[in-house]
Amino acid sequence: MNKIERACVIDDDPICVFGIKKILKKVGFCNEIIVFKNGFEAINGLKDLLKQNKPLPQIIFLDLNMPIMDGWDFLEDFIKIPNANRTYVAIYIISSSLDPRDLEKVKEYSSVTNYLIKPITSEKIDTVIGEYLN
Amino acid sequence: MDLLTFTYSLKDIPLAIAIVDLDLYVKDYSISWYKKFGITRKERQENTNIKSIASIPEDVYHLILSIINGENSLIENFECKNDQRAWFNWKISATKDEDNRITGAVVIADDITEKKKKEELLIQAQSVAKIGSWELNLTTNQIYWSDETKVIHEVGLDYIPNLDEGINFYKKGIHRETITNAINNAINEGISWEKELQITTAKGNDIWIRAKGKPEIINNKCVRVFGTFQNIDKYKKQQIAFEKTSDRLKVATETAKIGIWEYDVKNDNLIWDDNMYEMYNINLKEKNTKGILTAWKERLCNNGIQNDIKDLSTTLDVLNMFNTVFKISPTGDEIRYIKSKFTTIEDGFGNITRLVGTNWDITQLKVSQLKLSKNEKSFKGVFQNSSIGMALVSLENTWIDVNDSICESFGYSKDDLLNKNFQDITHPKDLTKGFDRLELLKKGEIDNYQIDKRYIDKDGAIVYAILTVTAIRNFKGEVSHLLTQISDITSRINAENKTKKLNTVTKNQNKSLLNFAHIVSHNLRSHSSNLSMLTKFLLDENNEDEIQDLKRMLKDATESLNDTVYHLNDVVQISTNTEDKLKSVNFNNAIKAVQHNISALIREKNANCIIEVPTDKKVQVVPAYLDSILLNLFTNSIKYSSPNRKLEISIKVKDINKTSIQLEFKDNGQGIDLVRHGKKLFGMYKTFHTHKDARGIGLFITKNQIEAMGGSISLTSEVNKGTTFNLIFKKGL
Repeated sequence: MNKIERACVIDDDPICVFGIKKILKKVGFCNEIIVFKNGFEAINGLKDLLKQNKPLPQIIFLDLNMPIMDGWDFLEDFIKIPNANRTYVAIYIISSSLDPRDLEKVKEYSSVTNYLIKPITSEKIDTVIGEYLN
Repeated sequence: MDLLTFTYSLKDIPLAIAIVDLDLYVKDYSISWYKKFGITRKERQENTNIKSIASIPEDVYHLILSIINGENSLIENFECKNDQRAWFNWKISATKDEDNRITGAVVIADDITEKKKKEELLIQAQSVAKIGSWELNLTTNQIYWSDETKVIHEVGLDYIPNLDEGINFYKKGIHRETITNAINNAINEGISWEKELQITTAKGNDIWIRAKGKPEIINNKCVRVFGTFQNIDKYKKQQIAFEKTSDRLKVATETAKIGIWEYDVKNDNLIWDDNMYEMYNINLKEKNTKGILTAWKERLCNNGIQNDIKDLSTTLDVLNMFNTVFKISPTGDEIRYIKSKFTTIEDGFGNITRLVGTNWDITQLKVSQLKLSKNEKSFKGVFQNSSIGMALVSLENTWIDVNDSICESFGYSKDDLLNKNFQDITHPKDLTKGFDRLELLKKGEIDNYQIDKRYIDKDGAIVYAILTVTAIRNFKGEVSHLLTQISDITSRINAENKTKKLNTVTKNQNKSLLNFAHIVSHNLRSHSSNLSMLTKFLLDENNEDEIQDLKRMLKDATESLNDTVYHLNDVVQISTNTEDKLKSVNFNNAIKAVQHNISALIREKNANCIIEVPTDKKVQVVPAYLDSILLNLFTNSIKYSSPNRKLEISIKVKDINKTSIQLEFKDNGQGIDLVRHGKKLFGMYKTFHTHKDARGIGLFITKNQIEAMGGSISLTSEVNKGTTFNLIFKKGL
């Protein structure tokens, strides 16, 4: 199985982060998992990676509802990061929201690959890996 | 002998006769001469000269002289007037001797004074009466016109008329025909005539004349036609005018049903015209049997005047009652109104000789009047008692009259309102509303219009009304004034506004309920999904350490769920229906109390609180909400204070208007990036700082609480400068 170098989880809920990390580790899909507690930290963290000449994570799992800077704001700021590799980043929204307005809104962001509804299960992660590898 | 006899006989001749010699000495005379000219016998003996007799005009003396001298014919007839205004016809003839020599003259003075006076009188009379005379001599076919006749024809006195011309003066048509026929009839049938005809004078004036003619018949043959000619133009024209006037009057009185009566006081004679009889329904038979007065009195309804009328020769005071309106019943069942007027005619000595009066049937008028007054009464009734405000307004926009309802709507007394005009009570923003249509209405181009308009009542409150303006026209059809109706719909509009407000509240509540539902579902779901995930891991996990970790996390997750449920419960507790829970609270006291409660926190931060709230300001609040709001604002300021400077909190209160009061809560803390977070500021679980206690619930609850109390919250903020919250509360009582 092809492995990816780095995955990123942006979520303020530690339990959720724990869950995703546990599943990703179990599947052994990536070498490194970086975690940010909100959009603001994530933008800064990703910018730091670029400064260190490290590639951006190939997959980002993004929660919508977060303090300081939520998922939407992150998406707005993310596309402003000056890096050509950014387009190769697959962003998966992870949210407990079943609000159809959120689902509609997601479609407006071309950078978003798909929308995963919590709880995150190994089956859902398998699908993501399948999609990514294809 | 002969001479003696002659002399003797001369004296007895009943003529004024005298014989004069060549020197004009009177030789002999008759007694009649003596009587006329007063010569005494003694004077005769002294050879009275005819020249010395004063009563004989000088002309006579010259005439005699000329005859004696053979200068004139031997016999002369001469009429002249002497100094005593006596007229004589002088006949003078020369006397001759045997040798045919003139010896003197016989002078006869025929007294024609009487005849002459009559003649003069006639001429004068003719001239005064503008009567001329004329004559047609059928033997010579010549026409004679007297001077007056010529004057009437407006020809010169030297004018010589002929028959054709004379007839042609008559106006063509009936006038000329009539005169021609009359002359023919006179000549052929011997018939006299008297006609009133029109001629056209030589100067072209049409005048009326009266021509009289009479034929003179001799031996069955008409030899002469003569007659008079009189200018009757003035009289005739008056007559014609009078006839026209009386015709008109007759038509007028008949049409207008005006009866005329006349009472001859002296002869006690009452005369009615036909209209009177018709008006009172009195026929000829009744008139003849009862007499007019009795029949008339029987038809009077009880007007209280019958008793006063014994006969028409009553005093004038009583008669004055007839300058009035009274009721009659001509047929016994129907009542008619008669307007009566009369006037008296006096002789030259101030005695009333005649009374002339009119009776006019004014039933129609009276009925119309009654109807009108009834209409007016019912209009007055409607006007005064209508629940709709009504006013009569002049074209100059001043009130003519207002009803009670309009006074009630505006809260003014009638007198107060009448001292104002429409504009005075109109809402300033509606002053010119409907003016275009008002102008059209005043010009008479439209009859009415209706608009919504706002007014201001005595207390300054807005009165909403539907204004209907109708033009009232006078009998000429011109707009004389306006009837305005003001339906006070204030309560309706207020109810409508209340409904609108309620509707808005409901909408907002619905919206927040929906948001709340999403919040609830999202927040509860995030926990439930965590629980679901953790339990799945737990079931799949064999590693004991991992199981312990999972169990611990499961516990955290359930605690978080519990917290969330508590928070949601707090939100649910904020009832939007707080009307009955509102209390008037002293603002200053409430702020000071909260400050006191968190004094430990403030001290710990070493914060400086400047509270400038007047001690008399009161707010209408749910006390617990106010505490919660103030606490939240204080703790926010403390939580998000800038680490670089000493925290300063400033609280000010000021009045916004009659019903609202504003609280300004200002700090110099970290501030909020409004560009970034503005739209999410008051959302649930939104936090904008990385503070460990940030839960994203405070402002959400604050907003809900203040809105539940009918207030509002807004803020201005600048990052690293500070935040100012502005809260609007309802004023306390």
